[in-house]
Amino acid sequence: MIRAVSLTKKFDSRVAVDHLDFEIPRGQVVGFLGPNGAGKTTTMRLLTAYLPPDEGRAELMGQDVSADPLSVRQRLGYLPENNPLYDDFELTDSLHYVAKLRGLNDPKERWERVKLVLRACGLKREIGKKVGELSKGYRQRLGLAQAIVHDPDVLILDEPTSGLDPNQVQEVRSLIRELRQEKTVLLSTHILPEVTATCDRVIIINSGRIVADGTPEQISGDVQNKNRLYIELKGPREAIETSFQGLEGATSVRPESQTGSGCSGFIIESEAGRDLREEVFNLASLKRWPIMAMRQEKLSLEEVFRKLTQSQ
Amino acid sequence: MRQSLFQSNAVKTLALRGLRGYFETPSAYVALFVFYLLAGYLFAFPLFLLGQASIKSLMDFAPLLLSFLIPALTMGLISEEIKSGTFETLATLPLQDWDIVLGKYLGFAGLALTAVGGLLFFPLALSALVQPQSGVDWGESLGILAGLAWLSLMYGAAGLFASSLTKNQIVAFVSSFMISFFFFVCGKFAGLLPGPLGGLAEFVGVDSHLSNMAKGVLDTRDLLYFLSVIAAFLYLTVERLQARRF
Repeated sequence: MIRAVSLTKKFDSRVAVDHLDFEIPRGQVVGFLGPNGAGKTTTMRLLTAYLPPDEGRAELMGQDVSADPLSVRQRLGYLPENNPLYDDFELTDSLHYVAKLRGLNDPKERWERVKLVLRACGLKREIGKKVGELSKGYRQRLGLAQAIVHDPDVLILDEPTSGLDPNQVQEVRSLIRELRQEKTVLLSTHILPEVTATCDRVIIINSGRIVADGTPEQISGDVQNKNRLYIELKGPREAIETSFQGLEGATSVRPESQTGSGCSGFIIESEAGRDLREEVFNLASLKRWPIMAMRQEKLSLEEVFRKLTQSQ
Repeated sequence: MRQSLFQSNAVKTLALRGLRGYFETPSAYVALFVFYLLAGYLFAFPLFLLGQASIKSLMDFAPLLLSFLIPALTMGLISEEIKSGTFETLATLPLQDWDIVLGKYLGFAGLALTAVGGLLFFPLALSALVQPQSGVDWGESLGILAGLAWLSLMYGAAGLFASSLTKNQIVAFVSSFMISFFFFVCGKFAGLLPGPLGGLAEFVGVDSHLSNMAKGVLDTRDLLYFLSVIAAFLYLTVERLQARRF
């Protein structure tokens, strides 16, 4: 659905996007992460044919965007950075204007679509207001409504929740979650919980290059290089530690703080991809040490992000 | 499939929006008010003081007046879109840059032609005032109005180009005025320059083309002059926008 093939963009001597390669299949919601200036916006501008690439190509729905930008844009919804809007328009006029420019020339059909997106984006209460009078949250919804008014297959959203308060962020996120059922979405953000909340997959870029690509879990696993399991049991502390050390695949066992009522916590590390939870459970039940808690310890996305984008 | 130069529906939508936009802010009202006030003065002064029943005096001053007023109407056309970021929205809709440029230009042209059309009031008023036997020279009057209309359209194209150069409306205004003023003043120096250079200056300046029209003479060479300057500026605007360097 969305494909970048060796996509490159230079501004004078600075390389903003450096041979990016990725492919996003239909129906996936992908978070595009990276520090400021990493090349997120430029990549999005290349994908929407706003800017021409210097090398490589961008494809949407199997078509090279530079070869036939108009027909590609018919099926694309794009929310540019900072959500630019015409403040002098009345809310519905603004939607009609964009819908007309998108080729929805039949007034009846256009009205249907406008009504539909007004409802979908929760904008009905604001009808009659000028765009300039809308609160930031509603402006963002209007930006989204303009991007989806023609029912596109692909949505590219540049920081759709930046500058919103937590409630508004939540609202816009749930709107995006509703869209995911039928559309392919690429959204850029530097708000990390957003990715875990809305995205199936994350692409992290830094200095115009991809530094990680996968599900949030995969990425933190890759960066971590090993599996960490936290377990809390009731039983004799030393005996437990020795038993676990004998477990096949365990590279280290570290006692954690002792909690009340005879419980002890341990961190068991194994190689990446080696999941010890089943063995740990079997051993504990054999020894009749009741398991009070067990979880896989992951690096948070924040830690992963910092590790990946600061190491270069 | 070969694409046409522009899409008429999109151009119409953009033009109507532009025209409407003028009347949602005071700018168009102020510009029109100043325009008619000065035009009224230029018309009434010779009429009542010199007893001259003609709108000729408009032709002497209106070109200079328009070189101020037209930039005021065109300065925000593109610079405002660049500044607010809405240009990116427009440019990623299924529109070509020619659609955007033509739409913006025709929106302006609608206002400019209405403004010049409003000057018809003066010859109409004259024909009501003067003796029927002396009459109003309609050939001359319509020629003058046609000349002013073409001049406004030409200054407007230059103004649109200037507006695509910068995010700053004031800078757009000043550059637009400078371009318009160049065309205004060029013909005036023609007599001072030697031989072929003088001829060139005369051809580039607006004076020689306007004076033909003011006599009621419609020469295709004059039309070609206005049309080619307009086309050149529209083309430059498209080229400028395509570079996407703001």
